[in-house]
Amino acid sequence: MFLNLSAATFGIALMLAAPGLAQAEDVPEAAPPPAPYAKVSDLVALPDFLPGLGTLFVDPATLPAGPFLGYDRDGKLAATIFMTPIEDLQGGTSYNDLAVGSNDVSSVDIYYNAGHPGVEKPHAHVVLFHGADAKARLAE
Amino acid sequence: MPNRRQVLAVGGGGVVALIGPAFVLAGPVEEIRMQGTSRGEHVWFAPVGLAVAAGTTLRFVNLDPGNSHTATCYHPTLFDRPQRIPAGATPWDSDFLLPGDSFEVLLTLPGVYDFYCLPHEHAGMVGRIVVGTPGDAGWQGAATEAGDLSAVALDGFPSVEAILKAGRVMPPGQP
Repeated sequence: MFLNLSAATFGIALMLAAPGLAQAEDVPEAAPPPAPYAKVSDLVALPDFLPGLGTLFVDPATLPAGPFLGYDRDGKLAATIFMTPIEDLQGGTSYNDLAVGSNDVSSVDIYYNAGHPGVEKPHAHVVLFHGADAKARLAE
Repeated sequence: MPNRRQVLAVGGGGVVALIGPAFVLAGPVEEIRMQGTSRGEHVWFAPVGLAVAAGTTLRFVNLDPGNSHTATCYHPTLFDRPQRIPAGATPWDSDFLLPGDSFEVLLTLPGVYDFYCLPHEHAGMVGRIVVGTPGDAGWQGAATEAGDLSAVALDGFPSVEAILKAGRVMPPGQP
């Protein structure tokens, strides 16, 4: 009974929450997204395609968290990535109501990154994959 | 497209010059790889400690497909860092190397050279080169002051003794 009630409550919460999900405006499924999005490799010294993340675009005004939009080698949107510095989280910073590139989220990976140009502090990568094959399309 | 940059560090002359590869490669060449895990949790130089003869060219190569790295020596003229290379040696900074890029530097003065990766020093991505041996004329040993270096960076330097004994020291967990 508890489980059923919990599941029902969760489902209702999802239904209530879904209309409020922030989706990045005018994000096309095919790269490149329009300004103010810019290719990350044009902003900082990083390769065009990052294995696991794809070709990244970001609105510089949203750094460090993003959203970063990850496109596969065919230029198709495959992931939305957030980069949240650990130190900032520990200091009480929260990142709320972040936009997503697509509301079609098949899975989420979260892992630590020691830093890279653009987001130098140690941070977490929160990767929302758009489609069951998205991770494979970004792997290489 | 992989890119290679050459820098000649002229001991005592304070001169850095771009020169052709034939001249740079005339002496011994040793490679230091810049590497990282696929998701960037860990990054490192391999080897992290290396003993070479004076006149050796070091080639730094970025083999990390998902990150860029630098090989930057500790010197007041570079980002106002404490000096951790022999006095009179020419400081070097590779700037950011993308995957496949490389950078070369010729070391001629005997002593201890400490270097780091600009975006990853805080993650312990540092290294140490020992040129010659303490008996060489003009030898200058390792820096003794911590300066502004973090504990994780200081912990990353192998001891001079360990480097001289083994010839090359790999980072923990690396073969």
